[in-house]
Amino acid sequence: MESSTDEKDAKPDDGDPPSTTASNWPLIKRLLTLSWAYRAGCLKILILQVVVLVLGLGALGLSGVGIDYLRHEITPGAPDPVWPLGLAPPGNWSSLAVLLTIGGSIVVLALVSGILNYAYHVAVADLVNVKIVAGLRSRVYDKLQRLSFKFFDSNASGSLINRAARDVRATGQFIDSVIITGIIMMLSLGIYLTYMISIHPLLTVACLATTPLLWGISIRFSRRVRPAYLHNRGLVDDLVLALSESVKGIPVIKSFAREAEAERRFRDANRKVLDQRYWIFGRISRLNPTVQFITQINLTILLLYGGVLVIRGELALGSGLVVFAGLLQQFSAQVANISSIANSMQESLTAAERVFEVFDLPIEIASPVAPTQLSEVEGSVEFDNVSFAYEPPNCVLQNVTFRANPGECIAILGATGAGKTSVLSLIARFYDPVLGGVFVDGHDVKELDLAQLRRNIGVVFQENFLFSNTVAANIAFGHPEAAQEQIERAARTASAHDFIMEMRDGYDTVLSEAGSDLSGGQRQRIAIARAILTEPRILLMDDPTAAIDPETEGEILGAMQSAMQGRTTFVVANRISTLRRADRILVFDHGHIVQQGRHEELIEEAGAYQIMAKAQMIDAESLDILEGAADT
Amino acid sequence: MSASSPALTQTDRGQYARDRGTVYRPLQFSILKRLITYMRPHRRTRRRLTIAVVLRAVQIPALAWLLGVVIDGPITGGNVRGTVTGAFAYIALAALTQLTLHFRQRLALELGEAVVHDLRNELFVHLMRMPIAFFDRMRLGRIISRVISDVEVVRTGVQNVLFVTMVGVGQMLVAALIMLAYDPPLFLVVASMAPVLWGIHVFFRKSFSLATRRVQESMSRVTSTLAESVSGIRVTQGFSRQDVNTGLFRRLVHDHSGYNMDQQRIHGVFLPLLQFNTQWITACILVIGGYRVLSPASEMTVGQLIQFLFLAGVFFHPVQSLGNQYTHAITAMAGAERIFHLLDTAPEWTDTPGAVEIASMDGRVQVCGLGFEYRPGEPVLHDINLTAEAGQTIAIVGPTGSGKSTLVKLIAKLYLPTAGKILVDGRDIRDIDSHSLHRNMGIIQQENFLFTGTVMDNIRLGRSDATDDEVAKALEHLGCMDLVEALPNGLHTEVGEGGGSLSLGQRQIICFARAMLADPRMFILDEATSSVDSMTELRLQEALARLLRGRTSFVIAHRLSTIRNADLVAVLVEGRIVERGSHTELLEQNHVYANLYRKFAMDSETVA
Repeated sequence: MESSTDEKDAKPDDGDPPSTTASNWPLIKRLLTLSWAYRAGCLKILILQVVVLVLGLGALGLSGVGIDYLRHEITPGAPDPVWPLGLAPPGNWSSLAVLLTIGGSIVVLALVSGILNYAYHVAVADLVNVKIVAGLRSRVYDKLQRLSFKFFDSNASGSLINRAARDVRATGQFIDSVIITGIIMMLSLGIYLTYMISIHPLLTVACLATTPLLWGISIRFSRRVRPAYLHNRGLVDDLVLALSESVKGIPVIKSFAREAEAERRFRDANRKVLDQRYWIFGRISRLNPTVQFITQINLTILLLYGGVLVIRGELALGSGLVVFAGLLQQFSAQVANISSIANSMQESLTAAERVFEVFDLPIEIASPVAPTQLSEVEGSVEFDNVSFAYEPPNCVLQNVTFRANPGECIAILGATGAGKTSVLSLIARFYDPVLGGVFVDGHDVKELDLAQLRRNIGVVFQENFLFSNTVAANIAFGHPEAAQEQIERAARTASAHDFIMEMRDGYDTVLSEAGSDLSGGQRQRIAIARAILTEPRILLMDDPTAAIDPETEGEILGAMQSAMQGRTTFVVANRISTLRRADRILVFDHGHIVQQGRHEELIEEAGAYQIMAKAQMIDAESLDILEGAADT
Repeated sequence: MSASSPALTQTDRGQYARDRGTVYRPLQFSILKRLITYMRPHRRTRRRLTIAVVLRAVQIPALAWLLGVVIDGPITGGNVRGTVTGAFAYIALAALTQLTLHFRQRLALELGEAVVHDLRNELFVHLMRMPIAFFDRMRLGRIISRVISDVEVVRTGVQNVLFVTMVGVGQMLVAALIMLAYDPPLFLVVASMAPVLWGIHVFFRKSFSLATRRVQESMSRVTSTLAESVSGIRVTQGFSRQDVNTGLFRRLVHDHSGYNMDQQRIHGVFLPLLQFNTQWITACILVIGGYRVLSPASEMTVGQLIQFLFLAGVFFHPVQSLGNQYTHAITAMAGAERIFHLLDTAPEWTDTPGAVEIASMDGRVQVCGLGFEYRPGEPVLHDINLTAEAGQTIAIVGPTGSGKSTLVKLIAKLYLPTAGKILVDGRDIRDIDSHSLHRNMGIIQQENFLFTGTVMDNIRLGRSDATDDEVAKALEHLGCMDLVEALPNGLHTEVGEGGGSLSLGQRQIICFARAMLADPRMFILDEATSSVDSMTELRLQEALARLLRGRTSFVIAHRLSTIRNADLVAVLVEGRIVERGSHTELLEQNHVYANLYRKFAMDSETVA
């Protein structure tokens, strides 16, 4: 009768540490509301499970009857078997026929319950995987995509990915592993109890006396060990961090000969995981034997008390004692379920909190309810006394005012952190200013339709993310239905056509992850093509040559130049070569415009621009030599 | 607005899921044997565990037998005293069994963890011994898979598979023996079901693992799409692509749940089938056993029939878990195979046995007839000859792909040359202990990795015993103290993972300070200031000039000021030095260098 399902080990848990210890009630209420939408599916599952359960008990009962029948046949004086539903076999049947009928009934019951069991499994999978999880996942993804940059600035990408991947699964678990399993537990305990009481009430009470103990131990265990598992997860994270940093930083480690330190750090982290797991193992390996032993105490009571009852003829051997033994085991198995329900509950609450957090985030940057429609964008851009902070009160832009006329090229120069990128972000309304307003064609960008605004603005980032898709799809990213010729035109303007044609499948070449098989210059040219595909009136370029070496820079400069043609362009630039072509240069320092004008004007003005420019220019001495060399 | 650098560990995990797809392969005993050698250091635990396993294999059937005996004997016989004695015997045996279970579980868990702990350390030490070139090929995600996920799989394998299988097989054997002793024909009927069960297992395991693989693959597509979407969110929003993406993602999620359904359907047939089997056996025992009880020729009693029902339970119970164990074993084996493969990958090169440790160096570097190829037959450097006197600055100039980085990496002994040699102070660097060489050498790259911790911690990496004052002094010496002080918590600012919360310029300053603190005789700079904006670069250039003063240095640079001040400029084209000399000399030669310079000049202007 001893089961060996216990011969497995707890695997380290996958949950995340609960972020709050505050009352979970509002969260549970919200999950219940969510579940209510799936009540029909849940009900179907519950009914199926109850029928399967009853059929199982039927089979158990029948085998008990079989035993009683045998005993009655061979032992004179043994009590008559109690036939289920009073369906006694006709007296003229041979013993073998009766046995065969009983055996056959068990098999038929098992068959029916098998089919229903299959239906149950499929119903659960359909409810959880298809309906709940897939739905939640798409919702989280959709919402994530609409959140402001601010959100992505302050959240690690790994955590965001996990919300849509793992947390959603764990949230769905609330319905199957908490609600459904919980109700099934209650129902089946009720059914077992009823059955047992119908056999012998007093015996039932005696045998189940230890149940509260079992319940208590299970809950206490999960309360104590679960935090330990969470703690362990943290320790494993440390271990992974020690590993990944050592690998990423291997050039640093080798060049400073720090292998020994790296090794020590890893060993320490490894040791901590081991020690803490040993502690957990000690707890786990005490729980299982204890729980099983309690079940065996129940069985002992059954043997003692039930045995005496059988001897006194007050209890049938088969449909009484043997069936009771079977029921007891199933009963304890269900009771022990309480701890796994508690775990799932904890897990799904933590996950649900993270999922709901995403749902609840306000979309900070959204189109106004009644946006001003622009029939055609001219391309004038105006900053009126704009102040901006990523994290107030640390302003990165302070009282910035300027105006760009349609078709003008404005270059922006300044040290890191001077606010250059912020200027571009505000024009495309990736963020909103704290004070003042940004105007396109005289309209505050907050009053414009967001998608329309961005369609009229082409953006080239400093490091441009390309997707693992074809070159054509990457260029047509903002406009998937673009015609091939349109794509090619954009690529030509961005001087990307030639190298694309040299690639394996031309425009249909699939780029590897993040475009890592292209050179920096090639990536940037594809990005430029992508930005101008829809012929935007305004072009924003955030120092596209920053990560490119000067030899390749020339190629991009040409592309940038032709892309700017006829557009209002804002370009963050550091190289004189770009700056001197601009209609106007804005020099930023600590969030203020400190100088502005054309290259020819600024180079004469004592200030930051002059110092920076001179460092990049050829000195007179070198020029003399060059000219002298050219003359000879 | 700059797109965040994609931290795609999730995708890597996804790929791992793909490369672990080797589900269907036979067990390889050589791997098992090797794995067992890892238990040797813990042989005391192993010995105690073996005892627990044997005990348990006997105790489980014994308990069922005892229960049967009490029912068969005292209870059916009407013996109250016997029943009481039997019950107490039962509870005593049960207590003993549970005590054994406690040790069986705990020791197995501990043994597995200990083995895995050792494996992880061994892997890490092995990795640290690998030359840099290894890490160019092996991606981080893969390494993490080996050291974390594969090791985890092996842990489950050691903890579960081996000992659970032993207990399971043992309990089946003992139960079979008892049944055989009671009634051989009935036992044969029961035992004949075993192959049927096994067959069902084999069949379903195959289709189930196939379905599981599809689920994993589709999930890894979901996660990698997610990862890409998060990394590329700025681009997505900049191009208003949200709706298109959502549609694509919905389809992927839909596919995934479809595969999930397939898997669950198989599972849904399999589990009920197993339960049906149990019922089938019960019915068989009841009918056949009952017939034998009734027939006068047999001595079988009703009690023995009940006994059989109990023992059959013990006999069949492990079948299901044994089937799972086989799958676990295969997975664990595949994990172990990958781990051992990594452990067996010898470093491409190590220091020669007689390598000398050098305490200090003057810094004279000679490069003689140097050649190098990453892949055989594709040389990237040909016959390079170059001498740097102690304290000189050598600028290396040339177009992209001309081999500049390779050259300096060879000088830094991050790779070994395939032809020729490099001498430092007249000694071949092959014969110099790498550690001691690197201690005397500072290497700064275009993007330098910072470790989690504060700015101070990262600078102190240059010399671990440096005081706070010394760190501050290094920064002051570079003239960059104000840049660090501008950070929220100054020197104690957390740099974030990979230095994420700092700007590139700030990161480079930290690297300079780190190098300054280490105070090496020699420097290697690979485009150290090129990814920084021009305003910050001016500061960096000044700092750099101070850093390099009096030290031998090799500098790859394309900013004019660095090159202008170099003692020697070497112009590299397609792996060959085509020109060398000072800046003025090369301009006068009016050839490659002068042309490069002119190209630059076309875009800029002259200072009057």
